[in-house]
Amino acid sequence: MESSVRQIADVTLIRIDGRVDHATAKAFEEVIKPHLDDTGAAPLPKILLDLGGLSFMTSAGLRVLMIAAKACAAQGRDLAVAALQPAIAEIFKISRFDLVLKIHPTVEEGLSSLSSEAAVLWEAG
Amino acid sequence: MIDFVSDLARERGFGPKRILEVELAAEEALVNILTYAYPKGAGDIEIACKGEGGSRLTFAITDFGVAFDPLSFPVPDLLVELAIRRVGGLGVFFVRQMADHIEYQRKGDANVLTLTFTKREPQKGENSTHTEGT
Repeated sequence: MESSVRQIADVTLIRIDGRVDHATAKAFEEVIKPHLDDTGAAPLPKILLDLGGLSFMTSAGLRVLMIAAKACAAQGRDLAVAALQPAIAEIFKISRFDLVLKIHPTVEEGLSSLSSEAAVLWEAG
Repeated sequence: MIDFVSDLARERGFGPKRILEVELAAEEALVNILTYAYPKGAGDIEIACKGEGGSRLTFAITDFGVAFDPLSFPVPDLLVELAIRRVGGLGVFFVRQMADHIEYQRKGDANVLTLTFTKREPQKGENSTHTEGT
């Protein structure tokens, strides 16, 4: 698993590539967790996970996402995922993760939904 | 071990998406064995491919740990609101969803979980033998 993080206006965009399974779920958690801290900023940054490069995810990865979703909901901040590959979309569908977090077809649509300022910056490259 | 399973699925002509589903079920089954059958640490796990080929793939996963029947696990309630939804519980659910047939037997001091997969491509939304709770 590989990851990269960008701050685009008020959105933290986290890209995840590769596999999140039993062996890599801990590393996945360590990527996400620092961004769930309540820094006292008002409002707290929104979080968008770009999963376009994610090829495989097991329940261990969904567990990390569920914990993140609960933390974000408790903090009143948005958490969304975008660009799911078909096999990952299927896993989200059967486990009803559409009820856990927002799912967007593309990163562009995810950013537009979360923050017009971030969408403009993304568009500008 | 997971590679063994996915290589066999590939050799049988399973499609890429179905191979990932077989891989997912196998990983979830193995992680459950490590968690529940061998709670104190590592133990032996044997995985054998059964049958003579064709469009079906059957694996018997055997461990020699604490007796545990994954089919006795409750089906998670996926429709409750986020605040009260359980964090875990999806592993066995995925095994049930991805395999076409599941059988558990306690044989002497061994747990034997037999999983059968067909080549089905589940994009039509069709489901197998298990239904979700309300």
